[in-house]
Amino acid sequence: MEKHILRRKFFNYLALLFTIISASWGLFWLFFILFDVLRHGLSALSLTLFLADPTPPGEEGGGLRHAFVGHLLINLIAILLGVPLGILGGTFLAEYGRNWKISGYISFLADTMMSVPAILVGAFVYAVLVKPLGHFSGWAGGVALAIIMFPVIVRTTEQMLKLVPWTIREAAFALGAPYHKVIWQVVYPSVKTGLFTGILLAIARVSGEAAPLLFTSFNNNFFSLDMKGPIASLTVTIFVYAMGPYEYWHAQAWGAALVITLGILLLNLTARLILKRRRPR
Amino acid sequence: MEFTNRLFAFLTFLGAFLAPLLLFGILFIFLKEASLALGKFGFFQFIASAEWDPVFEKFGAAVPLTGTMIVATLSLLIAVPFALGVALFVTEVCPARLQDLIRLAVELLAAIPSIVYGMWGLFTLAPLMARYVEPFLQKVFSPLPIVGFLFQGTPLGIDLFTASVMLSIMIIPFTASVAIESFYLVPPVLKESAYGIGATKWEVIKDVIFPYCKIGILGGIGLSLGRALGETMAVAFVLGNINLFPISLFSPTTTVTVKLANEFTEADKDLHLSALFYLGFLLYLLSLLVIAGSKYFIYRVQKK
Amino acid sequence: MNIEIEIKNLYFYYAHSEKPTLKNNNLTIYRHKVTALIGPSGCGKTTLLRCLNRMHDLYPGNRYEGEILFKGQNILAKDVDLIQIRTKIGMVFQKPTPFPMSIFDNVAYGLRLRGIKNKKELEERVEKALKEAALWDEVKDKLKESGLSLSGGQQQRLCIARAIAVEPEVLLFDEPTSALDPISTGKIEDLIVQLKEKITIVIVTHNMQQAARVSDFTAFMYLGELVEFGPTEKIFTRPEKKLTEDYITGRFG
Repeated sequence: MEKHILRRKFFNYLALLFTIISASWGLFWLFFILFDVLRHGLSALSLTLFLADPTPPGEEGGGLRHAFVGHLLINLIAILLGVPLGILGGTFLAEYGRNWKISGYISFLADTMMSVPAILVGAFVYAVLVKPLGHFSGWAGGVALAIIMFPVIVRTTEQMLKLVPWTIREAAFALGAPYHKVIWQVVYPSVKTGLFTGILLAIARVSGEAAPLLFTSFNNNFFSLDMKGPIASLTVTIFVYAMGPYEYWHAQAWGAALVITLGILLLNLTARLILKRRRPR
Repeated sequence: MEFTNRLFAFLTFLGAFLAPLLLFGILFIFLKEASLALGKFGFFQFIASAEWDPVFEKFGAAVPLTGTMIVATLSLLIAVPFALGVALFVTEVCPARLQDLIRLAVELLAAIPSIVYGMWGLFTLAPLMARYVEPFLQKVFSPLPIVGFLFQGTPLGIDLFTASVMLSIMIIPFTASVAIESFYLVPPVLKESAYGIGATKWEVIKDVIFPYCKIGILGGIGLSLGRALGETMAVAFVLGNINLFPISLFSPTTTVTVKLANEFTEADKDLHLSALFYLGFLLYLLSLLVIAGSKYFIYRVQKK
Repeated sequence: MNIEIEIKNLYFYYAHSEKPTLKNNNLTIYRHKVTALIGPSGCGKTTLLRCLNRMHDLYPGNRYEGEILFKGQNILAKDVDLIQIRTKIGMVFQKPTPFPMSIFDNVAYGLRLRGIKNKKELEERVEKALKEAALWDEVKDKLKESGLSLSGGQQQRLCIARAIAVEPEVLLFDEPTSALDPISTGKIEDLIVQLKEKITIVIVTHNMQQAARVSDFTAFMYLGELVEFGPTEKIFTRPEKKLTEDYITGRFG
């Protein structure tokens, strides 16, 4: 009897040990990667990196102003396209269409869409917006990111809206309000924090993408504000520079990687902090 | 006012309709762009051919498809046990105060963009692999029968092994999150009755939690597979993009995503581009199948 | 006594249902009196209440048969303007439902819906409503604060203020105090008795003592049918039907 229990305890101990090792394994990589990015990227951080444009290939120096600005512009387009459309879609699923059978299917499709390989979205936008027009464009890049962002916002909106208890809508109806006003004046304000954090997280996710931009906004070695042509972005620049032959390119790529990673981590932490502070309600 | 309501309702419907429109639209466009290659090579011939010659315009999907599946499967094999371990740590082992912190760490790991992973892989992981890990593994394992062949070849670091390890690190937080959600669904009453009989923690895990969460975990693994199949940037840096079947863990090879990333903008011949779209089409179908299937699994668990 | 609402041969079917939930209800609601609807769970009292402001219309598939006459017209008719009805017949719900906006905006909500924009008018009517709801003194210094910052009982009085700000002729109460503590319950019961001087009130309650305290007329319902209706005093002391007597004395329900 004693031997049996000892055996069970031994396996128990092994299993527990394994879970601790797993957790340590995960934490180890997190800190290792972050530390490495910090180490390499910090030295590349300078005012020049943000304010100067690239030098001709091979010539040391220069910065990534063109990529920072381009990245912001492309993401702005993605947000302006993806967020309103996503909120509208989610509103349909949770409100007007809530009793329709088709809403369940659309919800499932949107959920599936969230995991579609990003590079395929890029290829799709290439076929639709780049090939026919004959040139790469910042708009195409923005559209590609918007397509990736869209299902995330739909699902978040749907889930948030469904959390609002039905009686509060009834109270507004009982006062004679039409449905669209009930949604805008009562339901949306009830979930504005949750919705906002959901959008923040979606932006965090999309701003780190490179694959969908590879054949849409492509790349540009010069500073440009013309969204009708190819535009540089931080993520694609990292790709090009890191794979390139020059040391100073590698250094700048690390700098860009640091900025992007910090930005995304900040967005994530902000979103989670906002959510935490609301919990006590 | 009724008009505004109707208008708004219609707009929301358009928004929702956009989802299936895009999903099927992408399918349709890929098919259309691939039609040239589809017509030239058919289905079975394309799948079976290992040729990829842009000059003589002979294309086949065998290598990238194989590469995609091997990389995805390998990374899952490595990631899943660790991911389950992390999930179990968070839900069953970790003291309550630390739980939120560890979950946060898991989410942060998932938030790091894949291109940063990729770049780090190229500059840090690959050299580490080439200089220490791979030679060590080679020394230990290559003399062995059966598995020995896996560890042959020149360990340059830019290969299947590094890519799979890299991808597995990326997959862990994703799988762990899904598993954690699954584990939280187990009714405490169930666990308590097991503890009440005197079961150890591990026994509760293997006899109560795992069976209860079986479907949810499988779904989570499926989703992770979907993610691994479609990952581009992390793998592109460290896989090599060589259109050859890998003969060992230390061979460079290619996947559909890596091939697309590297060749898409360079393809100046229509057939080449069409072949790439053909590859994309196949990957799209595969991903959709895996993802939709997994989501359906998970959906069934949540209905309980 | 004047008749405010006349319910005639009312049948109600929930969506996808062959059997009616309300069967041949005939009931008179008298002006400026409190009428209580009582009965065991599932007897249809809330269903009947929600017919009066056509709340059931929010869910597709529900259907009515019969007539509900209000101000000479049948409000169950197809071409009736629901928004108009809800202007005249308001509702207070079981759970307090303050909107996520300031106390002032909550009360002003119905007014703004009607197109009233004049700041002075809004302020006057909000103050009047809050006074009538016996909440003014407690919130007059914090009108800008969120409605959600009030206690449960205060929130319910806020909802009442919100409903009476638009000066309805009828106010429907759906178990308004079941989620509240005894002190808040008492305050709201006092409020109802006060309000009836200007507004006709119909209240659903599963608390018989509340019905006895607060109402002038009581209707007892069972399994979708109206079993007995009459002055509250009579129903509670000399009910005509045995079923009514059994319920009143606590034999069931």
